[in-house]
Amino acid sequence: MDTYDWLLFLHVLGAFLVLGGAVLAGVFNFAALRRERPSEIAMLFKFARVGVVSIGIGMVLTLALGLWLVHHVGYGWGQTWIVLALVLWVLANALGGIGGGREKKTRELAERLAAEGDAPSAELTARLRDPVWLALSWGSGIVVLVILALMIWKPGT
Amino acid sequence: MMLALVRPDSWNLPLFLHVLGATVLVGAIGATVLIAVRAPAWRRLLVRTIGFLVLPAWVLMRFAGQWIDSRENVPGDPAWLGVGFIVGDAGLVLLVVMALIAWWGLRRPERRWPVRAVAAISGLYLIALFVAMWAMTTKPD
Repeated sequence: MDTYDWLLFLHVLGAFLVLGGAVLAGVFNFAALRRERPSEIAMLFKFARVGVVSIGIGMVLTLALGLWLVHHVGYGWGQTWIVLALVLWVLANALGGIGGGREKKTRELAERLAAEGDAPSAELTARLRDPVWLALSWGSGIVVLVILALMIWKPGT
Repeated sequence: MMLALVRPDSWNLPLFLHVLGATVLVGAIGATVLIAVRAPAWRRLLVRTIGFLVLPAWVLMRFAGQWIDSRENVPGDPAWLGVGFIVGDAGLVLLVVMALIAWWGLRRPERRWPVRAVAAISGLYLIALFVAMWAMTTKPD
């Protein structure tokens, strides 16, 4: 394997960690919407954290190895797909970061309610169905999909 | 190296769908492993994850892979393509067996072995998927 192979493998591995992590987190967030007991919701959000960590590692890998690949292959830094991908990478992180903050508060509420008797709570249900949080999470995922499409179609090359 | 970077436009959609299916499959299998290992009592969630996510993602990954293979017409029988086919086709057998075991485990909640078997199969398949990803990306001779 030459340098290009290693860079491409690690870059693609990063993409798998991001998209796979998003799917994994999505499975548990979606499952949490269907539960009422705070202890179960807290556990599902704990599982979703595995996906969030995977997304974080993947985001760093895709950016670092992606920039290295652009330099190694000799693509122009001003090419449309590269500029767009970088802008969307920042946007995906911003959306995911804000959504993640709301998710953390919901998880902390679920953990507190679980410790205080584990009774269903209207506040927790409302937080789980918070349209802003759902829009941020789904929006971040859609932006990542657009980045994947850019990487394949490479418009402006 | 540059040859690997030049790709006809007609390959892009099947490649996108193939990669999309593969990434969803990795995430869904990861979720399956996590449920089977850390929450073995949640058998309905396990069955739903396999039925509604793992199997459809496999279908997308495999059929889009076949689509791009028909376009690409790779000469000879390279090892990287063989790894992809093995993980894809043998994977279906594993996934169907895993789905049946998970369903059996849902109907027999007193038995522990079905969830353990699902954990073992999904864990092995997750490793196989990463090996396939390495082979398909680096295309070793």
